[in-house]
Amino acid sequence: MFRNIQGPFREFGFAAGCLYATHRVLQGISARWHLHVYELMVQPITDRALLPRKFGAQLDIREVRAGDAEIALMPVRPDVMASRLRQNATCLGAFRRGELIGYMWFCRREYEEDEVRCVYVLEAERESVFDFDFYLFPEHRMGLAFVALWNGANEFLHRRGVRYTFSRLDRFNVASRRAHRHLGWKVVGRAIFLQLGRVEVMLATLAPYASVSVSRARRVRLRLRPDVLHA
Amino acid sequence: MRNELVVLTDYVRSESGYEGPLDPESDLLDAKILDSFSIVQLAMFVQERFGVELEAEDLTRANLATLSNIVALIDRRKAGVGG
Repeated sequence: MFRNIQGPFREFGFAAGCLYATHRVLQGISARWHLHVYELMVQPITDRALLPRKFGAQLDIREVRAGDAEIALMPVRPDVMASRLRQNATCLGAFRRGELIGYMWFCRREYEEDEVRCVYVLEAERESVFDFDFYLFPEHRMGLAFVALWNGANEFLHRRGVRYTFSRLDRFNVASRRAHRHLGWKVVGRAIFLQLGRVEVMLATLAPYASVSVSRARRVRLRLRPDVLHA
Repeated sequence: MRNELVVLTDYVRSESGYEGPLDPESDLLDAKILDSFSIVQLAMFVQERFGVELEAEDLTRANLATLSNIVALIDRRKAGVGG
Protein backbone atom coordinates (compact mmCIF):
# COMPACT_ATOMS: atom_id res chain seq x y z
CA MET A 1 0.00 0.00 0.00
CA PHE A 2 2.88 2.36 0.84
CA ARG A 3 4.23 1.75 -2.67
CA ASN A 4 0.83 2.71 -4.13
CA ILE A 5 1.01 6.00 -2.27
CA GLN A 6 4.67 6.58 -3.17
CA GLY A 7 4.17 5.90 -6.90
CA PRO A 8 2.48 9.17 -7.95
CA PHE A 9 4.98 11.24 -5.95
CA ARG A 10 7.88 9.49 -7.66
CA GLU A 11 6.25 9.82 -11.08
CA PHE A 12 4.92 13.38 -10.89
CA GLY A 13 7.04 15.06 -8.20
CA PHE A 14 5.85 16.31 -4.81
CA ALA A 15 3.47 19.12 -5.83
CA ALA A 16 1.78 17.24 -8.68
CA GLY A 17 1.80 14.08 -6.55
CA CYS A 18 -0.25 15.91 -3.89
CA LEU A 19 -2.68 17.11 -6.57
CA TYR A 20 -2.99 13.58 -7.90
CA ALA A 21 -3.73 12.24 -4.41
CA THR A 22 -6.38 14.96 -3.96
CA HIS A 23 -7.88 14.07 -7.34
CA ARG A 24 -8.17 10.41 -6.31
CA VAL A 25 -9.68 11.24 -2.92
CA LEU A 26 -12.30 13.51 -4.53
CA GLN A 27 -13.18 10.81 -7.04
CA GLY A 28 -13.69 8.42 -4.15
CA ILE A 29 -16.03 10.79 -2.33
CA SER A 30 -18.35 11.76 -5.18
CA ALA A 31 -18.70 11.20 -8.90
CA ARG A 32 -19.44 14.94 -9.20
CA TRP A 33 -16.23 16.04 -7.54
CA HIS A 34 -13.12 16.35 -9.69
CA LEU A 35 -9.76 18.01 -9.74
CA HIS A 36 -8.49 18.66 -13.27
CA VAL A 37 -4.84 19.63 -13.53
CA TYR A 38 -3.94 20.91 -16.97
CA GLU A 39 -0.80 22.01 -18.73
CA LEU A 40 -1.50 24.35 -21.64
CA MET A 41 0.95 23.73 -24.41
CA VAL A 42 1.96 25.16 -27.76
CA GLN A 43 3.88 23.37 -30.48
CA PRO A 44 5.16 24.65 -33.81
CA ILE A 45 3.57 23.65 -37.10
CA THR A 46 6.32 23.36 -39.67
CA ASP A 47 6.69 21.90 -43.14
CA ARG A 48 9.34 19.48 -41.86
CA ALA A 49 8.17 15.89 -42.46
CA LEU A 50 7.88 13.80 -39.30
CA LEU A 51 7.75 10.59 -41.29
CA PRO A 52 9.53 9.37 -44.45
CA ARG A 53 6.95 9.30 -47.25
CA LYS A 54 7.19 5.55 -47.84
CA PHE A 55 6.35 4.81 -44.17
CA GLY A 56 3.20 6.89 -44.33
CA ALA A 57 2.06 5.74 -47.75
CA GLN A 58 -0.42 3.17 -46.44
CA LEU A 59 -2.31 5.78 -44.44
CA ASP A 60 -4.63 8.38 -45.86
CA ILE A 61 -5.06 11.53 -43.76
CA ARG A 62 -8.16 13.49 -44.67
CA GLU A 63 -10.91 15.68 -43.24
CA VAL A 64 -13.97 14.04 -41.67
CA ARG A 65 -17.04 16.24 -42.09
CA ALA A 66 -20.20 16.63 -40.02
CA GLY A 67 -22.40 14.30 -42.08
CA ASP A 68 -19.79 11.56 -42.60
CA ALA A 69 -20.50 8.07 -41.27
CA GLU A 70 -17.16 8.05 -39.39
CA ILE A 71 -18.48 10.61 -36.90
CA ALA A 72 -20.68 7.90 -35.38
CA LEU A 73 -17.64 5.63 -34.87
CA MET A 74 -15.91 8.09 -32.54
CA PRO A 75 -16.22 7.34 -28.82
CA VAL A 76 -17.48 10.82 -27.99
CA ARG A 77 -20.59 11.72 -25.94
CA PRO A 78 -23.38 13.11 -28.16
CA ASP A 79 -23.51 16.44 -26.29
CA VAL A 80 -19.73 16.84 -26.63
CA MET A 81 -19.88 16.02 -30.35
CA ALA A 82 -22.72 18.52 -30.80
CA SER A 83 -20.62 21.19 -29.10
CA ARG A 84 -17.69 20.49 -31.44
CA LEU A 85 -19.83 20.71 -34.52
CA ARG A 86 -21.48 23.88 -33.23
CA GLN A 87 -18.00 25.39 -32.84
CA ASN A 88 -17.17 24.49 -36.47
CA ALA A 89 -14.29 22.34 -35.27
CA THR A 90 -12.33 20.52 -37.96
CA CYS A 91 -11.66 16.80 -37.70
CA LEU A 92 -8.75 15.06 -39.44
CA GLY A 93 -9.02 11.29 -39.74
CA ALA A 94 -6.36 8.67 -40.41
CA PHE A 95 -7.60 5.90 -42.69
CA ARG A 96 -6.06 2.55 -43.52
CA ARG A 97 -7.66 0.89 -46.56
CA GLY A 98 -10.71 3.08 -46.06
CA GLU A 99 -11.11 2.26 -42.35
CA LEU A 100 -10.92 5.05 -39.77
CA ILE A 101 -8.09 4.16 -37.35
CA GLY A 102 -7.69 7.48 -35.55
CA TYR A 103 -8.53 11.16 -35.59
CA MET A 104 -7.85 14.56 -34.08
CA TRP A 105 -9.87 17.74 -33.81
CA PHE A 106 -8.99 21.39 -33.86
CA CYS A 107 -10.65 24.79 -33.62
CA ARG A 108 -9.67 28.20 -34.90
CA ARG A 109 -9.82 31.41 -32.83
CA GLU A 110 -11.15 29.78 -29.64
CA TYR A 111 -12.20 26.46 -28.15
CA GLU A 112 -14.83 25.73 -25.51
CA GLU A 113 -13.37 23.10 -23.19
CA ASP A 114 -15.65 20.07 -22.70
CA GLU A 115 -14.46 19.02 -19.23
CA VAL A 116 -14.58 22.37 -17.43
CA ARG A 117 -16.16 25.81 -17.89
CA CYS A 118 -13.37 27.43 -19.82
CA VAL A 119 -12.73 28.93 -23.25
CA TYR A 120 -9.22 28.97 -24.65
CA VAL A 121 -8.76 32.09 -26.76
CA LEU A 122 -5.96 32.12 -29.34
CA GLU A 123 -4.30 35.53 -29.49
CA ALA A 124 -2.45 34.92 -32.79
CA GLU A 125 -5.73 33.83 -34.32
CA ARG A 126 -4.74 33.75 -38.00
CA GLU A 127 -1.74 31.53 -37.34
CA SER A 128 -3.08 29.31 -34.55
CA VAL A 129 -5.39 26.42 -33.88
CA PHE A 130 -6.31 24.59 -30.69
CA ASP A 131 -6.10 20.81 -31.06
CA PHE A 132 -7.95 18.34 -28.88
CA ASP A 133 -9.11 14.73 -28.64
CA PHE A 134 -6.22 13.08 -30.46
CA TYR A 135 -7.48 9.50 -30.52
CA LEU A 136 -6.25 6.22 -31.99
CA PHE A 137 -8.40 3.13 -31.84
CA PRO A 138 -6.68 0.73 -29.38
CA GLU A 139 -5.57 -1.83 -31.98
CA HIS A 140 -3.67 0.89 -33.87
CA ARG A 141 -1.67 2.30 -30.98
CA MET A 142 2.08 1.70 -30.82
CA GLY A 143 2.38 1.64 -34.60
CA LEU A 144 2.87 4.33 -37.21
CA ALA A 145 -0.56 5.91 -36.84
CA PHE A 146 0.41 8.43 -34.15
CA VAL A 147 3.28 9.88 -36.15
CA ALA A 148 1.41 9.62 -39.47
CA LEU A 149 -1.58 11.52 -38.14
CA TRP A 150 0.59 14.30 -36.72
CA ASN A 151 2.55 14.37 -39.97
CA GLY A 152 -0.69 14.75 -41.94
CA ALA A 153 -1.99 17.39 -39.53
CA ASN A 154 1.22 19.39 -39.88
CA GLU A 155 0.93 19.31 -43.68
CA PHE A 156 -2.78 20.17 -43.60
CA LEU A 157 -2.34 23.08 -41.20
CA HIS A 158 0.89 24.46 -42.64
CA ARG A 159 -0.71 24.66 -46.10
CA ARG A 160 -3.42 26.82 -44.52
CA GLY A 161 -0.98 29.25 -42.93
CA VAL A 162 -1.15 27.82 -39.41
CA ARG A 163 2.13 28.00 -37.49
CA TYR A 164 1.10 27.09 -33.93
CA THR A 165 -1.16 24.56 -32.35
CA PHE A 166 -2.20 24.82 -28.72
CA SER A 167 -3.55 22.03 -26.58
CA ARG A 168 -4.20 21.12 -23.01
CA LEU A 169 -2.66 18.03 -21.53
CA ASP A 170 -3.82 16.31 -18.40
CA ARG A 171 -0.87 16.63 -16.00
CA PHE A 172 -1.26 12.98 -15.07
CA ASN A 173 -1.35 11.57 -18.61
CA VAL A 174 2.27 10.43 -18.77
CA ALA A 175 1.99 8.74 -22.19
CA SER A 176 0.60 11.86 -23.83
CA ARG A 177 3.30 14.05 -22.28
CA ARG A 178 6.03 11.73 -23.56
CA ALA A 179 4.56 11.61 -27.05
CA HIS A 180 4.20 15.38 -27.31
CA ARG A 181 7.81 15.88 -26.27
CA HIS A 182 8.84 14.71 -29.76
CA LEU A 183 6.67 17.42 -31.30
CA GLY A 184 8.57 20.31 -29.73
CA TRP A 185 5.89 21.53 -27.36
CA LYS A 186 6.40 24.10 -24.67
CA VAL A 187 4.26 25.01 -21.69
CA VAL A 188 2.40 28.33 -22.00
CA GLY A 189 0.51 28.02 -18.73
CA ARG A 190 -1.00 25.78 -16.11
CA ALA A 191 -4.52 25.61 -14.74
CA ILE A 192 -6.27 23.70 -11.98
CA PHE A 193 -10.04 23.29 -11.94
CA LEU A 194 -11.75 22.05 -8.80
CA GLN A 195 -15.30 20.88 -9.46
CA LEU A 196 -17.59 20.35 -6.46
CA GLY A 197 -20.99 19.68 -7.94
CA ARG A 198 -22.14 22.90 -9.62
CA VAL A 199 -19.31 24.94 -8.17
CA GLU A 200 -16.14 25.25 -10.16
CA VAL A 201 -13.01 27.00 -8.94
CA MET A 202 -10.07 27.75 -11.21
CA LEU A 203 -6.51 28.76 -10.40
CA ALA A 204 -4.18 29.42 -13.33
CA THR A 205 -0.84 30.93 -14.20
CA LEU A 206 -2.58 32.94 -16.94
CA ALA A 207 -4.96 35.89 -16.60
CA PRO A 208 -7.48 36.09 -14.95
CA TYR A 209 -5.55 33.72 -12.62
CA ALA A 210 -8.58 32.76 -10.52
CA SER A 211 -12.29 32.36 -11.03
CA VAL A 212 -15.36 30.85 -9.40
CA SER A 213 -18.35 29.69 -11.39
CA VAL A 214 -21.69 28.29 -10.29
CA SER A 215 -23.37 28.50 -13.66
CA ARG A 216 -22.80 26.54 -16.85
CA ALA A 217 -23.32 29.75 -18.77
CA ARG A 218 -20.29 31.42 -17.18
CA ARG A 219 -16.98 30.36 -18.66
CA VAL A 220 -13.58 31.75 -17.79
CA ARG A 221 -11.54 32.84 -20.82
CA LEU A 222 -7.85 31.97 -20.90
CA ARG A 223 -5.81 33.78 -23.54
CA LEU A 224 -3.01 31.75 -25.10
CA ARG A 225 0.02 33.27 -26.85
CA PRO A 226 2.79 31.44 -28.73
CA ASP A 227 5.63 33.72 -27.50
CA VAL A 228 7.26 30.97 -25.46
CA LEU A 229 8.30 29.22 -28.69
CA HIS A 230 10.41 32.23 -29.64
CA ALA A 231 11.88 32.92 -26.20
CA MET B 1 26.23 -11.39 -28.15
CA ARG B 2 25.65 -10.64 -31.83
CA ASN B 3 26.99 -7.35 -33.16
CA GLU B 4 23.50 -6.17 -34.22
CA LEU B 5 22.23 -6.70 -30.70
CA VAL B 6 25.10 -4.70 -29.20
CA VAL B 7 24.56 -1.84 -31.65
CA LEU B 8 20.79 -1.79 -31.06
CA THR B 9 21.20 -1.93 -27.29
CA ASP B 10 23.57 1.06 -27.40
CA TYR B 11 21.18 2.93 -29.70
CA VAL B 12 18.12 2.33 -27.50
CA ARG B 13 20.04 3.36 -24.39
CA SER B 14 21.37 6.55 -25.96
CA GLU B 15 18.03 7.57 -27.49
CA SER B 16 15.82 6.77 -24.52
CA GLY B 17 18.21 7.51 -21.68
CA TYR B 18 17.19 4.19 -20.16
CA GLU B 19 19.88 2.82 -17.85
CA GLY B 20 18.22 -0.31 -16.45
CA PRO B 21 18.63 -3.89 -17.65
CA LEU B 22 17.84 -4.44 -21.36
CA ASP B 23 17.02 -8.05 -22.04
CA PRO B 24 16.78 -8.92 -25.78
CA GLU B 25 13.34 -10.41 -25.09
CA SER B 26 12.00 -7.46 -23.05
CA ASP B 27 9.05 -5.65 -24.57
CA LEU B 28 10.41 -2.12 -25.07
CA LEU B 29 6.95 -0.69 -25.76
CA ASP B 30 5.29 -2.20 -22.71
CA ALA B 31 8.22 -1.00 -20.62
CA LYS B 32 7.71 2.49 -22.14
CA ILE B 33 11.35 2.60 -23.23
CA LEU B 34 10.20 3.20 -26.82
CA ASP B 35 7.11 4.99 -28.09
CA SER B 36 5.53 5.60 -31.50
CA PHE B 37 8.03 8.30 -32.47
CA SER B 38 10.99 6.22 -31.31
CA ILE B 39 9.83 3.36 -33.54
CA VAL B 40 10.09 5.54 -36.64
CA GLN B 41 13.52 6.82 -35.59
CA LEU B 42 14.66 3.29 -34.80
CA ALA B 43 13.51 2.09 -38.22
CA MET B 44 15.51 4.84 -39.94
CA PHE B 45 18.55 4.00 -37.82
CA VAL B 46 18.26 0.29 -38.72
CA GLN B 47 18.08 1.11 -42.43
CA GLU B 48 21.13 3.33 -42.30
CA ARG B 49 23.28 1.30 -39.92
CA PHE B 50 22.59 -2.17 -41.28
CA GLY B 51 21.98 -1.32 -44.95
CA VAL B 52 18.53 -2.89 -45.13
CA GLU B 53 15.42 -1.45 -46.75
CA LEU B 54 12.35 -1.42 -44.51
CA GLU B 55 8.78 -0.86 -45.66
CA ALA B 56 5.77 0.54 -43.80
CA GLU B 57 4.43 -2.96 -43.17
CA ASP B 58 7.66 -3.85 -41.33
CA LEU B 59 6.97 -1.21 -38.67
CA THR B 60 4.68 -3.31 -36.53
CA ARG B 61 4.65 -4.01 -32.85
CA ALA B 62 5.50 -7.66 -33.53
CA ASN B 63 8.66 -6.71 -35.43
CA LEU B 64 9.92 -3.90 -33.24
CA ALA B 65 8.81 -4.58 -29.67
CA THR B 66 11.94 -6.50 -28.61
CA LEU B 67 15.61 -6.27 -29.57
CA SER B 68 15.64 -9.91 -30.67
CA ASN B 69 12.64 -9.32 -32.95
CA ILE B 70 14.43 -6.36 -34.53
CA VAL B 71 17.50 -8.52 -35.17
CA ALA B 72 15.24 -11.18 -36.72
CA LEU B 73 13.69 -8.50 -38.95
CA ILE B 74 17.15 -7.35 -40.07
CA ASP B 75 18.08 -10.97 -40.85
CA ARG B 76 14.93 -11.46 -42.91
CA ARG B 77 15.45 -8.25 -44.84
CA LYS B 78 19.11 -9.08 -45.52
CA ALA B 79 17.96 -12.48 -46.80
CA GLY B 80 15.40 -10.72 -48.99
CA VAL B 81 12.45 -12.26 -47.12
CA GLY B 82 9.34 -10.10 -46.64
CA GLY B 83 7.41 -9.26 -43.41
